[in-house]
Amino acid sequence: MGIPRFLNVWGTHQFWVGFFNALGVGKIVFSSETSEEQYREYGKGRITMDSCYPVKALAGHMGELLHRDINLLFVPMIYSLPSFLKGHVVDTLSCTRVMMSVENLKAGFLREKDEFSQRGIKFVSPFVPFAEPEILPKYLWESLKEYIPGLSLEETAKAVKEGFKALDTFEGKMREKSLEIMKWCVKNKRPALLVLARPYHMDPGIGHEIDGEFQPYGYPVLWYNYLPLHDWLLDWLFGDEIRAGIIKSPFDISDVWTSSYSSNTNEIIWGAKFAARFPWITGVIRLSSYECGMDQPTFTPVQKIVESSGTLFFKFGELDETKPAGSVKIRVETIVYYLEKYSQEIVRKKLIRLKPVPSELLT
Amino acid sequence: MGTKELHYRAYRPRPFTKEERPRTTILFGGLTWKHERLIQGSLERMGYRSMPLPQIERQDLDIGKEFIDVGACCPTTFTAGNLARTLMTLKEKEGEEALKNNYLFVTIGACGPCRFGQYHESYERVLEGMNLKDFRLFLLDLLQMEQSAPGGGLEISMPLTFGLVYSMFYGDLITDMEHATRPYEVVEGSTDAVVKDSVELLYEKLRNRPIKGKKIDSLLWHVFTGYFVDALKEVRRLWDEVEVDRLRVKPRVKITGEFWLQTHEGDGNYNMKRWLEKEGAEVIPPPVAVWMDYLINMELFKLEDAKGFVKKYYLKKFAVESIARLYRMVYNKLRKALNNIPNPMPDQRKLKDLARPYFHYRLTGGEGHMLIGKALYAYKNKQAHMICELSPYGCLPNTMSVGAMAKVLGDYPDLLYAPIEVKGDAEVHAYSRCQMILTEAKRRAKEEFEQVLEKTGLTVEEIRNFEEDHPELRKATYRVPHYGYAGTASNYAMHVAKLMGKI
Repeated sequence: MGIPRFLNVWGTHQFWVGFFNALGVGKIVFSSETSEEQYREYGKGRITMDSCYPVKALAGHMGELLHRDINLLFVPMIYSLPSFLKGHVVDTLSCTRVMMSVENLKAGFLREKDEFSQRGIKFVSPFVPFAEPEILPKYLWESLKEYIPGLSLEETAKAVKEGFKALDTFEGKMREKSLEIMKWCVKNKRPALLVLARPYHMDPGIGHEIDGEFQPYGYPVLWYNYLPLHDWLLDWLFGDEIRAGIIKSPFDISDVWTSSYSSNTNEIIWGAKFAARFPWITGVIRLSSYECGMDQPTFTPVQKIVESSGTLFFKFGELDETKPAGSVKIRVETIVYYLEKYSQEIVRKKLIRLKPVPSELLT
Repeated sequence: MGTKELHYRAYRPRPFTKEERPRTTILFGGLTWKHERLIQGSLERMGYRSMPLPQIERQDLDIGKEFIDVGACCPTTFTAGNLARTLMTLKEKEGEEALKNNYLFVTIGACGPCRFGQYHESYERVLEGMNLKDFRLFLLDLLQMEQSAPGGGLEISMPLTFGLVYSMFYGDLITDMEHATRPYEVVEGSTDAVVKDSVELLYEKLRNRPIKGKKIDSLLWHVFTGYFVDALKEVRRLWDEVEVDRLRVKPRVKITGEFWLQTHEGDGNYNMKRWLEKEGAEVIPPPVAVWMDYLINMELFKLEDAKGFVKKYYLKKFAVESIARLYRMVYNKLRKALNNIPNPMPDQRKLKDLARPYFHYRLTGGEGHMLIGKALYAYKNKQAHMICELSPYGCLPNTMSVGAMAKVLGDYPDLLYAPIEVKGDAEVHAYSRCQMILTEAKRRAKEEFEQVLEKTGLTVEEIRNFEEDHPELRKATYRVPHYGYAGTASNYAMHVAKLMGKI
């Protein structure tokens, strides 16, 4: 089973591992991380329409997998995503371009000849609505039953549960790790940075490893999607606003964002709110790809959410396939200068606005 | 420092109260001038003062760019710029206080995560940029029937909703009549004149329509009344007077694309429909009604997928199917009043099935699978010689379905497809791309007509002579049946041959 390491698979890969392991699929092969070489060697000539680079890069992933030892190429059309904000927002939909990218790129592999069947590989692209867990097994089963002999709907449903369990376990561990880092910051009086981007910006070929550039300077980097969600922490940060009737829960973003349809966007907005309140996050790094239509309306609100609290905000926008290593380094040095200069004052001011630090953070 | 002062909060409009209604003007926009004038009639009937935004102009693109975040698609930039221009003009004419107190802007949202559902964020940037945060801007969710703005000044009631639906239907039908007639009008300008008269007549009908009840009684009256059909019968009499020459051989071009761009008539899409007509084509415009039909049917398809998980499945399915049937029934009743000249709405299930090998129907956002379904539907049913697909540069969903068309074109190499990416400021490029495909469409239309003449043994002169004895054939309201040809002239020649007993 070949799965491209692309777009929404970056936030859901543990689900797929858990799901296919439960189904007894022999081996899962992920494509390499996105790179210019991968794109040029395997993606060239398959792009049927101009779009953002993260979507175009899928062609390279699919093309690469066609050259690997696989029987099935599994490229899910992820329509909605599992989100910790579900129930507090209107919906948790995926970016329309991302969810539709599979149909778009598929055309590039089929328009002249069927490259999948030529290589003896079956192409499977189920519709995946994570936000509709009751129908999810049905869609997956309908796509896979032809290729996995004897597969039943019940078996698929059980595997879906296993997938969710695996994803929850992974995310739980990541959130614990984030908490550990945050405690380290408190103990050592060191600030941290929060990255606001889409999960696939963790892909070095998409996010250009900008987050990693800060670590040699001693700045731990947190990602919004793995922030800890403990009640005591959220009550410390959001409790006053809930009691004042401004928001209904710590996960309510309606005070700052009234169109909460998109999962990644909602979480980015929530991450910005978290960063604005948590004292030891003194800087936020926003990453956005060239021509990202999903990010476009959020640029001003996200910046304002962060800066209104005095937290520093920096944006690396319009990222595409070209890695501007030199200019990134120069910007990182500048940002580090500001972080060094202002972080302790930012922590102090943010602490004044909150109740005493919870004991759980001091352990 | 309290939390209220410290943290950023999204824009919240001041309430709009019932008492303010008579002295407050609702600004709105986004559709054609015809639809907007008709919507105005419906709003006025419900006691609202209203004013459509001025027609989109090229300058709106530049104004929009000054206010909103970088990377916006062209409909967002145009509409935000249009709002900004309107507010600037009103502020200059009436002063800032009058603008804030006597006007408000209403826009619709929803459509999931696409930028369409987030236009209001850009409009807020306009208010912020103009230092008009006190100006009221209300977002109405398109998918919720019962909604209102804080303060109760704006109430979405059954009579208002139906008024808006009929405004939309009327606007679509007149637009269809217009595009079926203008390319063939004998007296230049006669179509534009009758369109204007028709819209004014229908505006008056909407403005004076009776209000029969508020809930189910209102629904029943609006669905079964003859009031709206009778109004169109009056309109038909206006169109009877327009003389047409259907022997002009023209390629038929079906317009598809992103919702705003395909329905728009102005600088926002380089005035593409008028341009195509000037270049010798007949345009099939996209009705707004099809998009609403798509939304209703998507609910049905989703329900069918979830069979087994949905409580009271059959009851719910019956309810949605009934809404879909009533919707179509009303539209067809109105079409009939215009002698079925306006095109019928395509069957959504057929569109879904046609698109299925290329695009999953549940991938919603923008037009979803409809772009592919509509192109194939028009091609297979010989509705048009060519598809002109208008998508904004940077459109999130349409970019993807346009890409999927690559496989469709591989399977149907004869399908003439012109995907035009509209940036708002690159019309020469768009025209030249369209022109290339149009040249081939013209050739096909001509070839097709010659084949018909050969098949029927008729000459153009003979058809002209027959017309002299049958002047009703030259009326804009005379319906020519479809004989399996894409071109109007071809079907017309076949029809005359039939009337003459030649086939």
